Amino acid sequence: MSPVGGPDLSMFNRFSKTFRKGDIIFCEYEPGDTFYLIQSGRVQVVRIIGELEKNIAILNPGDYFGEMSILENVPRSATTIALDDVKALEFSRENFEVLTLGNPQIALKLLKGFVQRIYAQKRTFMILTLDDVEAKVADVFLMLAENLSIDTTSVDSIEFKNTVDDLSHWAGIPSGQCREVLNHFVAQRRIELYPDRIVVKNINDFARFVNSRRKHQEK
Amino acid sequence: MSPKAVQYRANSIIYFKGDQSDRIFLLNAGKVSLSYVDIETGQEVRDLIKMGEFFGVKSALGRYMREETAIVLQDSAVMVFSIPEFEQVASKNTRIITKMLTVFSNQLRRIHRQVQNLMVSDEQVNPETGLYKIGEYYLKNKRYGQALYAFKRYLVYYPTGSYATEVTSKIVQAEEYLSRYGSGAAASAAPGPAPSAASAAPRAAAAPAAASGETSELAQQYYNAVSLVSQEKYLEAFKAFKKMLDGGPDPEYTAKAEFEMAKCLFYLKQYDNCIKSFTAIAQKFPKHPELKDALFFVGRSYEEKGDKAKAGGLFKKIISMGPEDDAVVRKVRKALRALEGEKV
Repeated sequence: MSPVGGPDLSMFNRFSKTFRKGDIIFCEYEPGDTFYLIQSGRVQVVRIIGELEKNIAILNPGDYFGEMSILENVPRSATTIALDDVKALEFSRENFEVLTLGNPQIALKLLKGFVQRIYAQKRTFMILTLDDVEAKVADVFLMLAENLSIDTTSVDSIEFKNTVDDLSHWAGIPSGQCREVLNHFVAQRRIELYPDRIVVKNINDFARFVNSRRKHQEK
Repeated sequence: MSPKAVQYRANSIIYFKGDQSDRIFLLNAGKVSLSYVDIETGQEVRDLIKMGEFFGVKSALGRYMREETAIVLQDSAVMVFSIPEFEQVASKNTRIITKMLTVFSNQLRRIHRQVQNLMVSDEQVNPETGLYKIGEYYLKNKRYGQALYAFKRYLVYYPTGSYATEVTSKIVQAEEYLSRYGSGAAASAAPGPAPSAASAAPRAAAAPAAASGETSELAQQYYNAVSLVSQEKYLEAFKAFKKMLDGGPDPEYTAKAEFEMAKCLFYLKQYDNCIKSFTAIAQKFPKHPELKDALFFVGRSYEEKGDKAKAGGLFKKIISMGPEDDAVVRKVRKALRALEGEKV
């Protein structure tokens, strides 16, 4: 998410909120009906997975977060923490329209954000609907490569800064099962497994494998 | 550059599934359908485009492949936009964007739900347990300010939840650690209500309850009332403590409840009553472990009333009680500086 090209937000000062460095802005699982547009300071987005706090993103002035809440009542999907003293505009479902009417750039930015999220969810859906567990895990690697904008046809080996827990999360399988699959891939010399990263030796091999599984399933 | 008006003959194709393009279309006249395979059912679906409706927006904006084939059913008039042209039009009429946001959010919600249903891993946590575990994580990792946030939010949403009792005592614990060790998190430095004062009475209460392994009815009443304080429902909390005291004196809880009630009075802006209550507590329990906190509330009440001389006198008295690195003393020193700064 890149900063908004400096729209005049002075009329929204009444929605302004400040958070001190270290403050939680909202917590994963909290119901939420507000979203935020950062004016100054940085915000860290984290999720606690198992016993680890995982950094999802660091957001900068001009970025927004919590936008899902204005449209539906789902629990927050991540925790946000003020990384510096943060000033942000807080919007609710009620005053959201005021914001979009006055600031088409922000509305457009939100729209593009939604588009990306829909595609990301569809991509995850494709992984989850594979029958074969090994194909699921292999497809997660393909998705991660796509997210890194790596053209899988032009490279072989890719290093992913991901852990077993990340993989199990995306593949929608328990981490124990995911570890078994990865160990099997290690035994087949298809990957190298490190505590903080995983090296896929031939991503094209995984692409072929996933495609054939998917085709097989369609029959 | 401006959008182009294009005529399409019946049975022609505007774009194919799998194409990549940054064009966005608006149907002005005729009949166009989008044909795609529903990823859930695997069935071919055909959606008719309504007159005046945009299509091809998602794939163009996201720079993804087209997911559907746009087929012209009857001769049609279509406006073709580049992304900047679309953005220009949408900026002038934000209702277009608002409407699309609603459509996209519905799609997103649907796919999100399907994805969640397929997630059969250890991921699925109900929000109540999830929130509790976040508090636990931060408490365990000594990030007390953040632990407090999660636990306090828990009590707001689940005041009678299955972890409510544990959460209440963990709030006490976290506040105690916070006032003792501080935190990178800012809760301790936040202006306004003094967090360490909130820990005062319940701190002592938590121990015997934990020791006996179960919570007595009185303790439960007390915790419930304390949780109301943490939710900033001061009037309700005050009433709950009052009701508890009406049941007769208790060697353990009476003093604590009185302390909490006096605190509620402060937040309810009943400064005179707050001063009276804390003064009575200080006289009745001159060795009260939270005496400094009590005096601080009295000082702040005077400050709120505009009596800076009395407020300053009390603050100085608390500081003189030491020790210098005591959390309350530090807090009071800060308050005194602010008070004196204001005088100038």
